[in-house]
Amino acid sequence: MRCALLSNVNVESVARRIGRHQVHVAQGYGAWRQELADPGSGTWKFGAAAVFLVLDGAELLRGQPGLDAALAGLDEHLASIERAARELPQVRFFVSTIDVPAHTPRSLKEDHLQRRLEEHWNAGVSRVSADRKNVYVVDLKALVEETGRAQFYSSKRWYLGGLRFSIAGEKLLAAEIERILDAQVSARKKCLLLDLDNTLWGGVIGEDGLEGIQLSETGEGARYKDFQRRIQRLRQMGVILGVVSKNNEADALEVFASHQHMVLKKEDFALLKIDWSPKPQSIAEAAQALDIGLDSIVFVDDNPVEREAIRTALPEVAVPEFPADTSELCAFLDRIYQEHFFTLETTEEDRGRTEAYLANARRAEERTAAGSIDEFLAALRTKISLGRVGDEDVPRAAQLTQKTNQFNLTTRRYSEQQVRALLATPGVAMFIASVSDKYGDNGKVLLGIVRKLSADIADLDTFLMSCRVMGRFIEDQVLDHLVRELRAEGIRKLRVRFVPTRKNDPARAFVERLTGGQLLDKDDTGAILWEFDIAQASPVAKPPYAELLTRGES
Amino acid sequence: MEQKLIAIVAAALGVPASTLRLETAPGDVEAWDSLGHINVISEVEAGFGVRIPIEKIAEIHSIRDFLPYLGGQG
Repeated sequence: MRCALLSNVNVESVARRIGRHQVHVAQGYGAWRQELADPGSGTWKFGAAAVFLVLDGAELLRGQPGLDAALAGLDEHLASIERAARELPQVRFFVSTIDVPAHTPRSLKEDHLQRRLEEHWNAGVSRVSADRKNVYVVDLKALVEETGRAQFYSSKRWYLGGLRFSIAGEKLLAAEIERILDAQVSARKKCLLLDLDNTLWGGVIGEDGLEGIQLSETGEGARYKDFQRRIQRLRQMGVILGVVSKNNEADALEVFASHQHMVLKKEDFALLKIDWSPKPQSIAEAAQALDIGLDSIVFVDDNPVEREAIRTALPEVAVPEFPADTSELCAFLDRIYQEHFFTLETTEEDRGRTEAYLANARRAEERTAAGSIDEFLAALRTKISLGRVGDEDVPRAAQLTQKTNQFNLTTRRYSEQQVRALLATPGVAMFIASVSDKYGDNGKVLLGIVRKLSADIADLDTFLMSCRVMGRFIEDQVLDHLVRELRAEGIRKLRVRFVPTRKNDPARAFVERLTGGQLLDKDDTGAILWEFDIAQASPVAKPPYAELLTRGES
Repeated sequence: MEQKLIAIVAAALGVPASTLRLETAPGDVEAWDSLGHINVISEVEAGFGVRIPIEKIAEIHSIRDFLPYLGGQG
């Protein structure tokens, strides 16, 4: 994607290290603020969707006569960032925290001004980020702390070319920026599958017993408790957790039920696969039960043989190397987060994800119990709430296009910026639907984008639905409803395209059960275009069963 | 040591090592601009664990000119 890198020091060399994305650089004393304030400046002409502000603390304070003036200067900078973010809501601003190294010798009685300046700025940036949803904090100070100033900065590069950071510092910063950019255009993993023995606790429950396994608040066993705390945090950020363990189920469940230091509870997992079947088989079954692709899974196991078995049998599953020294478990999990689950922000849907998948599993049980599919569907008491995509729906709409692989007719991926652009395009209508039932609310799970090609022909640009609610003919009922709305607007023909991918067979099944279509085109990739005459009839044959409410247009 | 030096310079500039010789000078490689020059110096310092004093940097006109600073390491 296109991004701008603004800084008060020379960051050209950092920009050169950022691959895969186009970078516009504006740098130097005062230049970054002019660039922000001037709508005609290079940053905006370049069309940056993301703006990074990397500010060097020492340079920010150059020439300031005293503490009060320095603090006032920082406030002015913060205000100009806030103004730019307000005027350009479609652009994401990533603002760095600052690190201010002491630049003069200091006696022990003197006030530590650097700390006060850092705190003032870093608190200010957090406040702006809390107020403005398009402002994010990039913790440059933390990068410096983790690396150490002696390693992160280079005085030689500074005096030679105004380059503040060492090569190592530049690489870390460029990697951080790349990760943030990548997160906006590619899907993260969805599910973390965990082994139990020697992974969530030390030792083997079947041999060591409940009292013998290592898991405690302090001491050696605390490394596993801390590891579990971090895993719990991932769950709260929307990662689905599952257990895949070779064990006696009763032994393992006893640890969950009775061990006082288990942070992770049985309910935190959307799936517990505890038996003696081969793990590749268990993981393939888990993917099926959760209705997610194998390439959405990260598998953590201390046993190298199991890891190798998964890598060989299921190469799409990500299998990180387990640390040989388990005092490194927390750092290991942090790396897993950065590499596989990194996200800019956690949405409501993310927070409720495990619950949604658990409810799904219960629905599946009920389906097995119910006599027929129709009885099962009727018993669910499904409610569909359908409305136009509003401003507040844009992040979720973009997220749905990014993440939905299985029920997706065209698999067109849109960024938030592109969704906003579509909303502003005449003749384009975007619909979003949430689905609830007696087990709870699934959130907004279905998205449709319709483009008018002429006064009476419309094209279904996008029609997708989260796999959580698949198999319930919700898509049929929504399309049927959309057809009625389009007909009321004078549309007589609806074009529906199906673009096959490796994963979207569920979408193919849907288009194949539509009736009355005329084949317009079929190319050698297997993409098919139909046209349906909707003036009289609906392509949907399945009778509606759920309660469908339409939300008022915004 | 000379091969390692050429490999480090090549990596710093993002060009294949086969395009460089000890005689290669900044003017011979497009990526070896003033910014590239600073990166080459930093990478040579880091790669060999040595320091090239800032006073001596103006005297470096080719890859060969790094050799006296490498202290027989590598």
